[in-house]
Amino acid sequence: MRCEQAGEMMSAWLDDRLDRTEIALLEDHLAGCRACQVEWERLRALDRLLASAPMVSPPVRLRVEVMARLHRRDQARRALFGGTTLALGTVALVSLALAPILLGLLNATGVAPALISGGPATIAQLLSFTGAIGRALLVLAETFAVPLAFLSLCSLALALALNRLWLGAVRRLHTARHTF
Amino acid sequence: MAYQKPVYNLTYRMLGNAAEAEEAAQETFLRAYTHLGSYDPKRPFRSWLLSIASHYCIDRLRRRRITWLPLEDEIATVDGAAEISPRAQGEGLTPVNLASETPNPETTVVREEREALIQQLLDCLSPTDRAAITLLYWYDCSYKEIAETLDLTVSAVKSRLHRARRALAERIEGETSYAL
Repeated sequence: MRCEQAGEMMSAWLDDRLDRTEIALLEDHLAGCRACQVEWERLRALDRLLASAPMVSPPVRLRVEVMARLHRRDQARRALFGGTTLALGTVALVSLALAPILLGLLNATGVAPALISGGPATIAQLLSFTGAIGRALLVLAETFAVPLAFLSLCSLALALALNRLWLGAVRRLHTARHTF
Repeated sequence: MAYQKPVYNLTYRMLGNAAEAEEAAQETFLRAYTHLGSYDPKRPFRSWLLSIASHYCIDRLRRRRITWLPLEDEIATVDGAAEISPRAQGEGLTPVNLASETPNPETTVVREEREALIQQLLDCLSPTDRAAITLLYWYDCSYKEIAETLDLTVSAVKSRLHRARRALAERIEGETSYAL
């Protein structure tokens, strides 16, 4: 038996993975090989050291920290999902509300027919239309500044309330499903 | 969370300091919770958790090679007599520093020195070899279980264990007072 093979067998012997014949062969080799005897003693010393070491205890806060991180992550996900849903819903509603107005304006100013038929005058008409819209918005903002601000605040409050209702519903559903 | 201790012990043995071990244990539980759907019930749950923890720690150790980390970290606390590793129980070992539930200062010092020595030894191994040695000594895993946990072949596990033991045995020379 070569020393390299004996080394591999020593490791297997420490793990109780040698049969009697293999153990006898290894013992024969060890009896006649000083270098392997030294290695065997080192391996046994290492084995005793590692085998005598207990498991390390976790800090008591580990469970609390894990639960807190899970809770925070779930909250963040719910908030992101709820917020995205609300934002998309708001955009869709606003688009639906503004669509008839925009279409009416486009038709009234002749931009829509120009866009459909095309032609060199289209760009000039579009610029003129944009300018008109900008001026109209400025006049509206000056005239209806207070009502617009009030409307914005109401929308914000409504969005927050809806978000809170949404989060509450998801949390109740989650708690009912998982009794962690 | 009945698996706190096995998971934390693995992360501590792999990473070598309490702060990183705690963070890694938390991350293991979060990943397990997130990927609970991919858990195969035929597989032991502990083995699945240890696999997640091992891979996380191996990745972290590989990243550590290019990231500077503090060398001085607190030594984690170690449990008393009831938590001798499976191999130690099998060999009937009752180390002197585990004999009492209220160790005196001298035994505490011996215990801490032994823990420091073990971590020094483990630190010299590659991440995967460190995981293999840890799973063998603290979890009494078979070669097959280690192979499944670390995504290796059984022959690769045997060869890694042999190589790791030789490396550790060479380093342990001169420190045998702890092991004998």
